[in-house]
Amino acid sequence: MPEVLQRYEAEIWQAIGETFAMVGMSILAAIIVGLPVGTLLFLCRKGNLLENRVVFSILNLLVNTIRSFPFLLLVVFLIPFTRFIIGTAIGTAAATVPLSIIAIAHYSRLVEQSLLDVPRGVIEAAKAMGASVVEVVFKFLFVEARSGLVLGLTTSIISFISYSTIMGVVGGGGIGDFAIRYGYQQFMTDLMIYMIIIMVILVQCIQFIGTTVARVIDKR
Amino acid sequence: MIQIHDISKRFADYEAIKAVDIEVNEGEIYGIIGASGAGKSTLLRLMNLLEVPDCGEVVVDGKNLMAMKPKQLREARKSMGMIFQHFNLVANLTVYDNVEVCLQLANYPKHQRRERVMECLRFVGLAHLEKQYPQSLSGGQKQRVAIARALANEPKVLLCDEPTSSLDPHTTAEILAVLEEINRTLGVTIVIVSHEMEVIQSICHRVSVMADGSVYKTIDLEPQGIPDVDHTPEYFIEKLTGEVSGDA
Repeated sequence: MPEVLQRYEAEIWQAIGETFAMVGMSILAAIIVGLPVGTLLFLCRKGNLLENRVVFSILNLLVNTIRSFPFLLLVVFLIPFTRFIIGTAIGTAAATVPLSIIAIAHYSRLVEQSLLDVPRGVIEAAKAMGASVVEVVFKFLFVEARSGLVLGLTTSIISFISYSTIMGVVGGGGIGDFAIRYGYQQFMTDLMIYMIIIMVILVQCIQFIGTTVARVIDKR
Repeated sequence: MIQIHDISKRFADYEAIKAVDIEVNEGEIYGIIGASGAGKSTLLRLMNLLEVPDCGEVVVDGKNLMAMKPKQLREARKSMGMIFQHFNLVANLTVYDNVEVCLQLANYPKHQRRERVMECLRFVGLAHLEKQYPQSLSGGQKQRVAIARALANEPKVLLCDEPTSSLDPHTTAEILAVLEEINRTLGVTIVIVSHEMEVIQSICHRVSVMADGSVYKTIDLEPQGIPDVDHTPEYFIEKLTGEVSGDA
């Protein structure tokens, strides 16, 4: 192992841990909140099962607004909210708040798009069989859209990693922050390059896993 | 079995169904024929309220569907099977699972599900394909799976929306034979929408001819039986040239 990596081994492991914590929380938020929000966006659309213009417009506007923020501004803008939720606006835990919010907005849009790819005929058939809305969602929509949902999550996770790199501004730490503080600001270019390599490997692995899973579960 | 009384349905500025009255008797095969845009599919979809009419009454098996709460309507739909032109199977589920879904929705007793699914698949002659996914099936096989799915919960009515319109004549004949058998052996009332004359002639007991959103006339028929379609080279040559070919 290169000498510089050995020297900073403890810090690097800590940075990797922080990145995993931030991205992990984002993934949880995406699945727990983003998936239902995206599904609701789909269901409330004109001509769909729960057609509801008000709910659709509100969700749509919210998702668009969050996604149109430059992420750095969103982080700063959310500081009071983060302080209210976590008790502080500084640190890795605080960093998960804006990350989770962008994660929800990001993934819910991709969920909506995946569900739009499900043939309408399948939903018709489900309705004709007497399926309730919940049954249509779980027994038909999610089953038919599953590979799209996985690919969407893969894309999202990679974006979350990218977003997490700037959480240094609120003391969130992580690999990106480490690369800036040690590699860039202390002129250890080789250290910065190693950090970039770690990120590239991480993204490659995630994309590979996501693509493989999506292919295996796609029987269409 | 199905009474449609004074039903109208309007889409935006277009009147799809105009004050239609029809009655489908228990145990018959009822055809609906007409040109594209005549409103025949819409009329069929009104029978299980996939399309909600603007006014009128839809009574199935003595119950007025229009007066039902959503939950009651879902229950009523479970005793009405439906098949479609494009089959509408769940591509990510196996043949077996596609049929089983219907039983899950109907809360069919768990320990009897496997037996019932296989019974339905045997009925349509596809028990050996239970582990396949729809993608690997031919059009005719997909429609058989869809029929098995529609039959699983022992419906009283089977609604068929252009069931053979994306199939070749030979497969069409096979599917019609299955439908005829369902009607004859299980006593299921069948409504078939089709634009194909032979489909209606071969198995329907009565037919409504639709035009422009209205029923033009309803006629009693003597089912002609399913034509024997034999796709030998001689058949094609004879059809194309009108000559009986002896060279082959």
